[in-house]
Order: sequence, then C-alpha cells, then structure tokens
Amino acid sequence: MALDLSLPHSGFHSQRRAFNNYPWHVAFFVLCIAALGVWNLASASRSAHAPVWISQLTWMGAGVCAALAIGFVDYRRFMRGAYVFYALVLLLLVAVMLKGRVVMGARRWLTIGPLNLQPSELAKIAVALALARWFHLDAGKRRDGYGLLSLVVPAGMTLVPALLVLKQPDLGTALIVVAVGATIILFARVRWQALVTVVVVVAVGAVFAYPHLKPYQKRRVETYLDPEGDVLGAGYHATQSMIAVGSGQGAGKGWGQGTQTLLSFLPEQHTDFIFSVWAEEHGFVGCLLLLALYYALVVSALGIAGNARDRFGHFLAVGVSGMLFWHVFVNMGMVMAILPVVGVTLPLMSYGGSSIVAVMLGIGLLNNVGMRRFVN
Amino acid sequence: MIDVPPPASPGAAQKEFRPGTSWMTAAASLAFLVLGVRLYQLQILRGDDYKERADGNFVKELRVPADRGFILDTGHRILVDSRPSYDVTLRPYFCGKQCDDTLSRLSSLLSLSEDEMGRAQERLRAARGLERFRPFTVKVDIAREELDIIEANRVPGALSGVDVIPAPHRNYRYGSWGGHLFGYMNEIGADELKKANEEIERRGDGETLPYQLGDYLGRRGLERRWESRLRGIDGVRRVVVDAKGNAKGGDLEDLIPEVQRFEPSRPGQNLVLSIDWRLQEFAEKFFPGTAGSVLAMDAKTGFLLALVDRPAPDPNKLSGRISRAEMLAIHNDPLRPELFRAIQEHYHPGSTFKVVTSIAALEEGALKPGGTVSCPGYYALGRHRWRCDKETGHGTVDLEHALGASCNVFYYALGERLGTDRIAKWARLLGLGRPTGFDIGGEITGVMPDEAWHDKHVAGGYQRGMALNVAIGQGDVNVTPMQQLVLYGALASGIVWKPQVVERIEDPSGQTVQQFAPVEAGRLPVKKETRDQVMKGLLAAVNQPFGTGYWSRIKDIQIDGKLLVMAGKTGTAQGVKLGARRLKAAQVTYSERDHAWFAAFAPADDPEIVVLVLNEHSGFGSSNAAPTASAVVRHYFELKRADALERAGVPFGPPPPPALVPAERAVPPAPAAPRTLEGPASAPAAAKGEKRGA
Repeated sequence: MALDLSLPHSGFHSQRRAFNNYPWHVAFFVLCIAALGVWNLASASRSAHAPVWISQLTWMGAGVCAALAIGFVDYRRFMRGAYVFYALVLLLLVAVMLKGRVVMGARRWLTIGPLNLQPSELAKIAVALALARWFHLDAGKRRDGYGLLSLVVPAGMTLVPALLVLKQPDLGTALIVVAVGATIILFARVRWQALVTVVVVVAVGAVFAYPHLKPYQKRRVETYLDPEGDVLGAGYHATQSMIAVGSGQGAGKGWGQGTQTLLSFLPEQHTDFIFSVWAEEHGFVGCLLLLALYYALVVSALGIAGNARDRFGHFLAVGVSGMLFWHVFVNMGMVMAILPVVGVTLPLMSYGGSSIVAVMLGIGLLNNVGMRRFVN
Repeated sequence: MIDVPPPASPGAAQKEFRPGTSWMTAAASLAFLVLGVRLYQLQILRGDDYKERADGNFVKELRVPADRGFILDTGHRILVDSRPSYDVTLRPYFCGKQCDDTLSRLSSLLSLSEDEMGRAQERLRAARGLERFRPFTVKVDIAREELDIIEANRVPGALSGVDVIPAPHRNYRYGSWGGHLFGYMNEIGADELKKANEEIERRGDGETLPYQLGDYLGRRGLERRWESRLRGIDGVRRVVVDAKGNAKGGDLEDLIPEVQRFEPSRPGQNLVLSIDWRLQEFAEKFFPGTAGSVLAMDAKTGFLLALVDRPAPDPNKLSGRISRAEMLAIHNDPLRPELFRAIQEHYHPGSTFKVVTSIAALEEGALKPGGTVSCPGYYALGRHRWRCDKETGHGTVDLEHALGASCNVFYYALGERLGTDRIAKWARLLGLGRPTGFDIGGEITGVMPDEAWHDKHVAGGYQRGMALNVAIGQGDVNVTPMQQLVLYGALASGIVWKPQVVERIEDPSGQTVQQFAPVEAGRLPVKKETRDQVMKGLLAAVNQPFGTGYWSRIKDIQIDGKLLVMAGKTGTAQGVKLGARRLKAAQVTYSERDHAWFAAFAPADDPEIVVLVLNEHSGFGSSNAAPTASAVVRHYFELKRADALERAGVPFGPPPPPALVPAERAVPPAPAAPRTLEGPASAPAAAKGEKRGA
C-alpha cells in the first residue's frame, strides 16, 4: 500500500476554520515574553556600543511573521518534507564544519549571501520533525514499548546532528538536540530495562569521555562542582551571575539600574546570561512573573501535544515543548548555578537572530498542530 | 513501503497521548518549582549577602594615607616630617602580555637602575591569579620632573597598568644627624604584616586599620617605638569601577551614597622630644670623631638634650631610595654604621670609672678621708708591675689629686684593698651592669664583673690582679655611653635617672595627649662626705693645672655674676694591651687606638647639664673628648642666656633682613653691596649680645 500523505481538506475554507481554533493563549504568552525580552535587552545593552534591542525587535517581527505563515500550511504537509529538511540541515552542519566562520574559537556560523546562519539552531527543529515522522509511521508496532534495538534509528537520527554540533564545538546546543530527541523517544514509551541500560551506559560513558573533553569544557564541569573555587577564572561567570541574580533581592534594582549589568561584570550579558540582567533589575517579583510565563508556555505546549489529532502532531508538539522546556531550564539553571555553564539561550529573551527564528519556527509548528486538533 | 496505521479517531489519539503529557507536565512543574525555590534562595534568603557582594564589585576603596606624626624638638622645631612624593606602581593584570614592554618603557623614562628593574621583573613573574590585580612598586619616590615625563607619555595603550600614586615619604630634615634615634621606615614584609595585624586586633581599639602590603612601618628608634602613635588612621575614598577596574564618574558616582564616598584620614600624633636641636646641631658640628657619641642630659630630670651618635646611615635613604649596593656598603662598613653606639655598644670606661672605685673605697672604709698613696710610676703586685699614666710617678697623692691627674697607682692600691666584688657592688648601685631603661629597644647591659663572673667567664678563674684592672675601668668592665651618662648624672644630682627623650606626645592640633614625667631608677646611696670628696676630685680634673681636663675648662661664662664651673673626668680606654712602648695615636692603626672619654657636668655646685663624650679610637680623652664636652656645656649656657633674653623681650639671633633695596641699587657691583648692607647691621648686634652676657 502506497504511503498516503495526501491531505483530505486543503483550501482556503479549511484554513479559516483552522485559524478559528488558533491557540491564541500560546501566542499571548510568546508575545508577552518577547516584549519583556526586548525591553530587558534595551537595558542590558546600555553599556554596549550598539543598541541591540532594535535588531532584536526586527528579528522578533520576522519570527512572528514566519510563525503565522507556517500556520497557513497544514502541518501534515511538513511530514512529507520532514526527512528532506532533516537531510538539508545535516548538509548545512557539514558545510559549517568545512566552511564555517570561526567566532571566538567555535565554528558555528555559515554565511549564505547576506545571511549569517547558525544551522545548529535549525537542528533542534529538524530532529523534532524527523523523529515525529519516524514515530508516526512506526505507530502500532510496539504497543508494549520500545526496546533498545528498536530505537537505534531514532537514536541515530538524534545523535548524528548532535555530534556534528558538538564538533563545532557547541556543547549547549548539542545537549538541547539530544534532550529534544530523548524527550520524544521517552514519549513513545520506552521499556524500563532499556531506560536503565541507557542511563548506566551514559554514566559510564561520561566518566570515560571526560578526559577527552576540551579544556574549557572540563573547566566548566569543574566550576560547576565548585563555582567559587576560581572566582576570577572559570568560576567568574557563575559567581558574577549568582551575584547579579541574588542582588536583585525582592523587588530588583529597577530597569537600567543593575550595577552588575551596567559595569560589565556579567559576561555574555545579552545572550546566554540575559536572565541575570532581568533578575538583577526586576528581582524576585519580576523573576516569578517571567517564570510563570515560561511555565504557562510549556504547559500550553504540552496541552497541544496531548490534544494533537495524530501521532505526527503529537510528537512534533512534544519536540517543541521539550525544546522550550530544556532551553528555559538549562539556561536558568546555569544562571542560578544549579547547572554547569553551557551555552544555551533563553528563548525569546536572549539576543540573537538564529535563536529567535528557531524558537518562532517551533512555536509556528506547535500552533499549527494546536489549531488543527479538530481538523480531519 | 510501510504500512500506514489506520487513521485513529481524534478521541482515541488523545486518549493515547494524554497520560504522557500529564507526566511531562508534572515533571515540568517540578522543574519550574526547583527554579522558583532557587530564586527564592538566591534573592530572598541570601539577597542581602549578594547585594553586598554586588556593591563590593563596583566599589573600589582607595586608601587615603594618614599623615604620619612629626617628630619635634623641645622648641617645636620640626626634625622629621613627611613630604609629598610619588611612587610608580604597575598592575600586571592591566598590562597583560605587554608588561615587559611597559617595564622597559618605564625603565627608559625613569632611568631605572638594574636593581629596580630586576626587582620589578621578579615581581612581574611571581604575580599569579589574584596577585595580578595588586599593584607593585616599580620605583619609589620619583622626582617631580619624572612625574611629568610619565604623564606626558601616557598615550593610550602605552603605559596601561602604570599608576603614579601619591605616597608621602618620610623626610628626615637633618639627614644622618639623629639617625639612630629617629630610626627609619620601610615597606612591611608579608610575615610582619600578619604579626602586626594580629597585634592590632589584640589591642582592638576598633579604629586602627590593619596594615596592607605596601604600607610603611617604622623601623628602629622612635619610628618603631612609637609606630602606633605616629601612624594615624587612614581615610578611605570609594569610587565606582567597572569590571576592568576603570573608575567611572558622572551619574554612576551616585551608586555610592555621598556620605560614604570619602572618609578623611586622621593624622598621627606628634612626638615632642626633650632634645634641643640647636644644641644637637652644635654638637654634631663640633664633635670631631668619626665614630662615637655625644650625649647631653638634663641633670634635674634625666631627659636628654642632645644625642649625637655616629656614624649613622641617612634614614632618608634607608626609607626608600637605597640601592642594594648601598645597603651592602652599610653592612660591610667596618665602622658598623647600623650600630646605635650609645646603647648598643660597650667600651672599657677607662679612667672615667675611677669615680666608682673612689666611692666604693670611701664608703667601704678602704680609704680614709685625706688618705694618700705614693706613686712611683708603677704598682707592684706579686711579680707583676702595673704601669701608671705618668712614667715618672705622681708622688704622694690624695683622692683629689689622684682623680684630677688620673693616677692609676692610687687606684691600683684601692683596687687591691677593695677586691672586685666591693667595686662591683657600688658600680651596680650607680647603674652599671644593667640597661638604663632608655625606651627605644635594643639596649645592651654592658658588663660589670665580680669574682663569680670572672670564675665563670675567664680561663683560670678570678685572680687578685683583676681587681687592679677593674679599679681603673679596664679588664672586663664594659659600659655603654648611656650608662656612663647616667652614672655621672647620678653623681651630679644624686639620682640615678632613667634617661628619656620623649617629653610629651601631642595630637595634631598641639594638645598634649601624654606627658612623660622624670623617672628615677635609683638614688645615689652615699654619705655627703663621700660625694664632696669625689666632687673635689672632679673639679680638680677640670680646674686645677694638674687636672687632665684643664685645657678644656670654661673660663668665660658667668651665671648670676658667678663664674661657671664645670666638673668632669677624662678617660682613655685601652682597647688592646699596652705594648712595651707608649705610642702616639697616629702611630697605631685605627682599631688599635684608645677610646677617648670625657664626662662632665655643670654648674658644679648645682648641676643642670650632664655631658658625656665618647670618641671611638681617637686617643686621649683630654684632647679628643674633653673639648667637645666643654663646648657643648658652654653652648648650652649660651642658649639658655639667649632664651632668657628673648623671653625678656630682647631680640636675639640673626638681625632682621635689611629693607628692600630698590632694583637699580641692587644691580651695581656685587662685592660692595653685601658689605654695606649686612656688615654694619649684624656686627653690632652680635657684639651687643656678647657684652650683655659678659
């Protein structure tokens, strides 16, 4: 039997019906966070030379348009293109390795015409799409859960791009790729024996892999274990960021008043450590608000996953939810020094075009699934 | 091709997915709870702590060094103060990889010596981690022009990490004069730092700030003894800095509340000495010795009036600008300039000791009043002949003559009668053999031997003949100049004074904080006749033609219509055993020459001043020590008279400057001008002063 990927209803009429069910609450949370993000960047970049929030706003606009545009195409059409997209991203990753631009010791950027692209950001979406398709087609075969052997393909689909990203080196993004893949796989129900085996293998592997890490990566792990051990060296980021967060206290120092931000004590203050700027200036109250927005976003995304009308939509929504969740958790955990320092952005708050576009693409796909939950 | 699963109905799919998403929602909730709790912990529970650390990040505290207290003489003349100067420091963190270039640039700008360069390179290499933020001194005390040179060369990127910081340096106005008394200052060492700060903590007055590396600490002398009083309390200036340590002005200044931006320093207290610097200056100039001491003491209080001690290194040099070579030169100098001779070196007292033997003999009944001894020029004990000063002999001498002419034979006889123990007993009562208590540290005890001492320290033990040597201040008798000063002070006043030099301590506004009273260490326990007898001998020594100090008598000073009479005693202490022939000082090498002593006080009937001169390795006391003592006594009374006149409203001292000369008259030939302007003005004034005193 031929694979029937044709869509039963496609046409303007059904589009309008789909938009009637658009998950506006998700859009609301996204826009709220995005607005706070731009506002926060305007403060964070006071000490820098360029007002980066303007460019952030531009990217944000582009991202919102892209997310809405995605809504016009039924997500099931993307299932057909999932592997193609995945292959394309792999190609881009290989291209980065060969011809990428080196910025601060890492080869992460690819210049195509006027665009500076970070293919690793796309890798997360590509893995989500590819795994969703794989599990969609694999449905019904393993009612009793997946064993190790049966997971070789999805695991490979996750690990290949992850390793390519790790090679750049970009440990943070590689971890997110793995986390997205692992989340999807877990949702497909894995046998507990398989789970235990994986955990043991990873633990043992970590011990053996540790000597092969790059010195800066090792330092980060050591710093995580003892953040105040080397206040001026590797622990500098962790220490200064904790100071920034803690010194925000209850109400914060006020917009533009964060001394850690103003006097450049925070490294990477508009990208990976943007949350410490927020925490310093808006305090516990502001942080709870932001945390609540992210929580609402993640829970809404999971809600969409739970209400998806088919397995592809379900796994795709799970992938996007996972991506959002892991970004938020790893980033905030790092800023608050409960996790080691790995370069992971805070969605919609961190400065960076590729990051915003990737998040917005994810949101677009998520809403696409959500708006078509009743569509047949 | 794969089988496509039958399209599940919406309801069925959601039944399948929902349990999974519920689990995931629960897990996400837990994760967000963890983040929330952590936020609460950081911001609410530990918020104050982090707030403090955030403030600490950008608040840079700069020390405002307190002005160190002055050292003043009794007339409030400044002897030691601080002058503005600059140190050049380098912070390795800020010059980064260019530190070597920066150093060599500095080297050419400041013409650093090899020494300074070597030290700087060492510090540079040693700096690791946090150390790299700490500035170290490249050159201390640069000249004003050098400061300008550095500022002129401050193009961006050229001298990063180089700071020129104001660092007041101690200014010893009279160079090496009084050098041992004042001591000097230099940088605190890492180990001392800990000790000094523990001491401060122990004292715990809550005001004294701990020392930091780079701080200067008083070394030796008054600087060390009174460090805690002189030091003062440093102030603090707080500035806003960014992560790179650059100071930020403008609006950012407001991050620090205005009241906290500056806490002024409080200057240290001033030491007012009993020294009259005019007398000191005079003594410094008059004293011909290469090495030795001139000490003058107020006979009625025990406070020192002058303290010449040489050789002494220049404390200005020791306090900073000294090179390793110069330091080495001081250490290797055979004259040992680092030694504070007045209290840290002892000598045979020679004939100046004879007063002790005299007192012992009279008090112990070994010499009856008016008792005589015949001097043939030698004294025989057993098979040994002990020589007298005068080879032909003094004839029959009594105490007055013996003390005045310094007859050794007379004292050999007393020594034999008394034995060492009885001499030692009286010497101790007069303050020998123990420290005088001069409160400056490092004082030695000297040696006053008795029989037991000889048994213990001399091969063969005590022998009778030793008493003969002890009786004339030779053998193993050793005294410091300060002890000898105290001894003659006791003869003069009847009180064994504890010599002191700090009269009072004042706060910067001149209010007395602490006044020091005279301290008696003992009283001279002798009968009046004994003192009278000895005094007669001391008067004879200076005022009788046969006296050894006759040449140095004071003939021309009257006090209240009475001629000023000085009493004293010469001494010529032999450092090495006498050879067969008597040699002149110039005929033997420096270190074999005798030490010249002279101790005196005046006026003899009611002594005010005690003077002791020790001229190391110079020869006879009569010719190399007595003139200085005499001149100092004389100058003391001249000053006293001048002060009295001034108090009475009669101007004294240099005449007032002549009226301003119009420019056209000042231009003509130089030689004529000064004569016409100054000659008539000054000469009569001096003559007038002279007449009034006479």
